[in-house]
Parts: sequence; C-alpha cells; structure tokens
Amino acid sequence: MENEPITQEEVRERPDSWWYRVYALVVLTEVFVIFALWFLSRYFSANTIN
Amino acid sequence: MKFLDWVIVFAYLGYVIWDGVRMSRQSNSVDSYFLAGRSLPWWAVGLSVMATQLSAITLVGTTGQAYSDGMRFIQFYYGLPLAMIILCVTVVPFFYRAKVFTAYEYLEKRFDVKVRALTSFFFLISRGLGVGTIISAPSIVLSIVFGWNLIVTIFLIGLSTTIYTVFGGVRAVTWIDVKQMFVIFFGLAVCFIVILSAFPSNVSFPDALSLAGSLGKLNTLETSFDLREKYTIWSGLIGGLFLMLGYFGCDQSQVQRFLTAKSVGEGRTSLLMSAFLKIPMQVFILLIGIMVFVFYQFQTPPIVFNSGEVAKAEQSAQFRTIEDKFAQAHLERREAAVAFSDGESQENRQNYIAADAKFNGVRQEAVKYIRDTSDKNFNDVNYVFPTFVLQNMPMGVIGLIIAAIFAAAMSSIAAELNALATATTLDFYKRLYKPEASDSHYVIAGRISTFLWGIFACIVAIYATNLGSLIEVVNKFGSFFYGSLLGVFVLAFVVKRARARGAFFGLLFGITSVWVASQYSDIEFLWFNVIGCLVTVAAGYLISLTVRDKPADDPAI
Repeated sequence: MENEPITQEEVRERPDSWWYRVYALVVLTEVFVIFALWFLSRYFSANTIN
Repeated sequence: MKFLDWVIVFAYLGYVIWDGVRMSRQSNSVDSYFLAGRSLPWWAVGLSVMATQLSAITLVGTTGQAYSDGMRFIQFYYGLPLAMIILCVTVVPFFYRAKVFTAYEYLEKRFDVKVRALTSFFFLISRGLGVGTIISAPSIVLSIVFGWNLIVTIFLIGLSTTIYTVFGGVRAVTWIDVKQMFVIFFGLAVCFIVILSAFPSNVSFPDALSLAGSLGKLNTLETSFDLREKYTIWSGLIGGLFLMLGYFGCDQSQVQRFLTAKSVGEGRTSLLMSAFLKIPMQVFILLIGIMVFVFYQFQTPPIVFNSGEVAKAEQSAQFRTIEDKFAQAHLERREAAVAFSDGESQENRQNYIAADAKFNGVRQEAVKYIRDTSDKNFNDVNYVFPTFVLQNMPMGVIGLIIAAIFAAAMSSIAAELNALATATTLDFYKRLYKPEASDSHYVIAGRISTFLWGIFACIVAIYATNLGSLIEVVNKFGSFFYGSLLGVFVLAFVVKRARARGAFFGLLFGITSVWVASQYSDIEFLWFNVIGCLVTVAAGYLISLTVRDKPADDPAI
C-alpha cells in the first residue's frame, strides 16, 4: 500500500470495505511482529552460543 | 570531533535553516502558514508524523534505556497501531470534514468556547513543558561534545529551530521533517554497521544477541498485570493505546500533521504509515542500544557515562577505590563473555551472568557515591549513546550521527512550536481577543507566538536536564494530560448526551484524578492515560445528565 502512489481522487473514492481490509492487515502485522519479537527473545535468551 | 565532523554538522544546520527560511514566501496566509493549504501528499505527512514523534530523546534516551534496561521498552509502542486504526475511523474524518485548524476548535463546534479554551490551555501547558524536555536531550550531547555551558547549547539548538519554524510555518516543518528522516536513518544505519564491525572477530551478530539475551536484555514481552510495573504488554496495549490516542488524536502537534493532507484518505494513509513502521523502527533503535551494550562487554566502558561527574568524583580516594574494583569486575566479565562466546556450556553461561551481576553491583556503588555526594537525582541513561559515539566512532561518522541527533531534535521541536503557536494564535488570540483582523495579521501573530514559545521552551529545557531518563519524562508530562483530553474527545464523538458543562468539569475531574493517582499511589504513568480518560468520560456524562438543553445539530459535527 505504501509503495504505490495514490491520486487524490482514488483515495477519496476508496470504499469503507477497502479501509477495513487495511485495518485488518495492520492488526495481523502487529500480532506477527509481537510474536516474532517474543520468539527471538526466547530463542536468544535460552540459546547457548555455538 | 575532527574537521570533517564539524563540516557535516554545520552543513546540515546551515541547510536546514536556509531551507526553512526560503519557504516563508509560500506561507503568507492563515491557511498556508498553519495548514500548508491542505495540499501535502500522504507520504510527506506520514514521514512528518513519524519525525515529530521521533525526537532526539528517542535516539539518545531509547538507546540508553536499551543499554541499561534492555528491549522491554518496546512494549510501550504496542498500543500505537490499534490507536491509529481508531483514529482513522473517527478523528481523521471528523476533523477534516469540520474544516478546523486545531483539534480544540472542533470542541467549540460540538460544545462551547469554554471547553475549547480549557482543552487548548492544557495542551499548551503539557506541550510547552514537553518541548523543553525535547530540547534538553540534544543540548546535553552538544555540551559534552564542545565542553560548553549547557545553557548556551540549549539556546543554540532551541533558537536555530525556532528561526526556520517562525519563517516557514507548517510547510517548512513538514518538508524539512522528510529530509531529516533520511538523515536520521542514514546516520543510524551507518552507526549500526560500524558497531558490528567493532566486535571481536569471533563474535558475530547472533553471538551478540545471545550475550544480551542471556542477561535478559532482549525481553520484549512481560505479561504480568501489575500496575506498578512500568512496561508490560498490558500497560503497552491498554495504557499505551490511550496515550497514543491522546497524542495522535488530541495533541495539536500531531493533529496538525494530518490536517495538512490533501484528503481524508491521504490523512488516514499517513497515520497508517506509522502503524506499520513505528514498532520495527523502534526495535532497530533499541537494538543499537543493545549492540552498544555488547560492545562494552569487550571494551572498557566508563564507570558512569557522565564525564563531568566522574571528574568531580575522582578527587576522592573512596571513588578511586570503586574505580579499581570496577576495572577488575570488567576484566572478569570480559573473560566470562569471551568464554561464553567460545564455548556453549551452561557453566560458561552461569559464569557470565554472575560476572555481569558483580559488574553491575560495582557500577551501582559508583552511582550511589555520586548520588550521595553530588546529585541525588543522578541518572546517566541519556549520556550513554553520545559518549559511546564520541569515544568510539570514526571521523565523519561522528559528525553524521551528531547531525542525525540534531535532525531528530529539530523535527520534533519545530512541529511542537508550530502547534503551540497555532493553538495560541487561533484558539486564544483570534477567537477571544482579535477576531476580525487580516490574514497577514494572524500570520505575524503566529510568527511572534512561535518565537515566544521557542524562548519559553529553552527556559524549561534548562530545568529538564536532571529529571532522569528524558524519554520517560516527556511521556510522563504527556500522560498527565492526554488521558483527560482524550476523555473530552470521547465525550464529543461517542456520547450523544454529552454537554458543554459535562465536558468542561469532566476534564477538570479527570486531571485531578490523575494528580491524585500520581501523588497517592504507585501506579505507573502509562495507566494515568486510562484513569484520566475514564474519569473524564464518567464525570462528564453524569454532569451532562443534569443539563436540560438540546445538542447542536450541525452535520459537520
């Protein structure tokens, strides 16, 4: 979404359903990031160095 | 600092001031000076939103926080993406369609002028104090670099930012923010690479993470529901959500960013940019602090990171004894770290953890000595990163990172000053004192107001330098007011029965409740946002029930 230039008219015409999909993506991304950070911290906290 | 570093720093400063001043020609009406004619693209607004939040405190304070306390500070940001979604659904379209210049102007349309003035007044107090804290962080860096008096450095950074904000208005603030974000991330990326290359040859990046991880420095998820714990997933998701809603939705310095966007959709997209990028960005900045920590496993760190205090304390034989113990403790920890890096046994791991505990014990002795003999509020968190950079980075990189710290500071200070001037000029001067003047008159008033707020912020900065971790100080200032301000907007948007009297006294109740909580409980500051908001909404609703009138029926509201 961030990489594509969006014209003013296009943005104004976006339906609510489009925005709801973006919001869902935000939530999923956050859940993934929190889980990934937790997993990495657990991995490096428990792991001994090879 | 070598000649090349000076050239980089002064080239950056000169360019930023010139760039801001040259934009003054495009900022000669109220609409263009305060809202850039509502003409800016989403990506510029989005970068400006992030730059405004990313202050020098974020660089100096967060890296220092990671060095001393690990990554758990990241939980503070877990509520941000959710807050952005709520704001995109509610605040952005409400404000944009109401065609307001300030967030508080909307409250006059919904309630009355007293509610507008009171909320704007609390914004001016909290942000006026907050921007002083934001100035003090880079000023500390400068005072270390140049050995100058701190007051001189505070006025240097504060006034140089004030100059381009006075002339260029919000358009200059936004476009310079965009350029500053590139300076910041280029500087940080170079810094990160240089730190990794300075590790011993047998220590890789995963090894560094294991060293930090074994000491609990990488913990990013604390699930305890203890209100006295500062950073937990709950304080981040709930308290942080309320704080971010208050900051991005009710704080003029952020509201003004998305009001400059071309449309509602572009305003939403600019906020969602932060929702996606903020947590990864903060992880990267915290990771730099962690890498500094690992670097000092193999190189001797200063006993405390404030050279001025060390110089004073070294005159005492007792402190020199602590320094000898510290040197010995560092050698033992380094040996344990090397052994842990080379071997994979649990024994090596336990030895390393024990050596680090001993090292920290000696360092705490030194901190206690300084607190007992010199400064009872002594805290060196904010000195860690600048001291590391100056003592260990190569020529050119020092200048680049100092420029990045300046960029971070100036982007936030400029946005805050611009917002303070906007609220002062439009919510008070124009609304209450001189409602029928020309556009150019209000632009001049805005410029004078920006200048006066710049001076005020510098004075506050002088007193903010000894308040502990600066990033916590600025968030505590915010948390004192944001929850209650948010409560007023919740009343405005959600509670149909809410009336002006309820909103006015609800806000006063909310702020009083936060003050009581801060004075008479151990509740950590992130929860103040929840308390302030809930009390304001509850009190506002109950008081509104006593009012027998009809609400305004304006479709724009």
